[in-house]
Amino acid sequence: MVKQVPPEIKEEIDLSFAISNKIDLLMQERGLTKKQFADQLGKRPSEITRWLSGQHNFTVSTLTMLSAFFGKSIISV
Amino acid sequence: MSEVELVLVNDTDKCTIYTIQFSEEAETEYERFYSKFIEDAQLNQDLLRIVQLVDKIADEGALERFFRPEGKMRDSVVALPVLRSKLRLYCLRLSDRILVLGNGGVKSSRTYEEDDSLRGYVLSLQKFEELLKEGQRDGTVTVTSKTIETDKTFKL
Repeated sequence: MVKQVPPEIKEEIDLSFAISNKIDLLMQERGLTKKQFADQLGKRPSEITRWLSGQHNFTVSTLTMLSAFFGKSIISV
Repeated sequence: MSEVELVLVNDTDKCTIYTIQFSEEAETEYERFYSKFIEDAQLNQDLLRIVQLVDKIADEGALERFFRPEGKMRDSVVALPVLRSKLRLYCLRLSDRILVLGNGGVKSSRTYEEDDSLRGYVLSLQKFEELLKEGQRDGTVTVTSKTIETDKTFKL
């Protein structure tokens, strides 16, 4: 089945998982729960749930905001 | 009453993924889900996203954050959704390292309970989990940290 997956879908999901894993790791390093993280960013916990789902389509502005919050880049180009 | 067997789909360091197969069916439940939508022009891409997600979950583990809770509080039924789509694959997430794939479909109602097919898929997984627990109690099923060991045929 997985051989039928087009490379663009594979790449997109790989990247989405990598970003959500990075955010999850950075949250753990800061000792932040989902609720605490949401409160500090002024977001709803449901939005953090989407970010961590491995499927969220992040905008550049969200990634920039997260990089600024953690003081570390989320992705490198 | 149907007979059901546990079938291995994928086994990695992080996670073991199973599905179930009804004795009267030629395909496993995961294969039936795939066959149902692979020729569907509208849902084909969403299906392939789920296939890729399942493959990725094998590498990463069946972490809670990748799924949406479904079923009841007392069971382990979850849905693997595709964001921006209504296609859902129902699964039993027994732990971060053990996942059992069921069948799925398009969730066009607010809850799965309002759709006979989806309710059937969720009920099958709920019953299967109960049978696994019974099997653990009577010694015919062993659930380790990463595997379900049994040669039992379950009466669902």
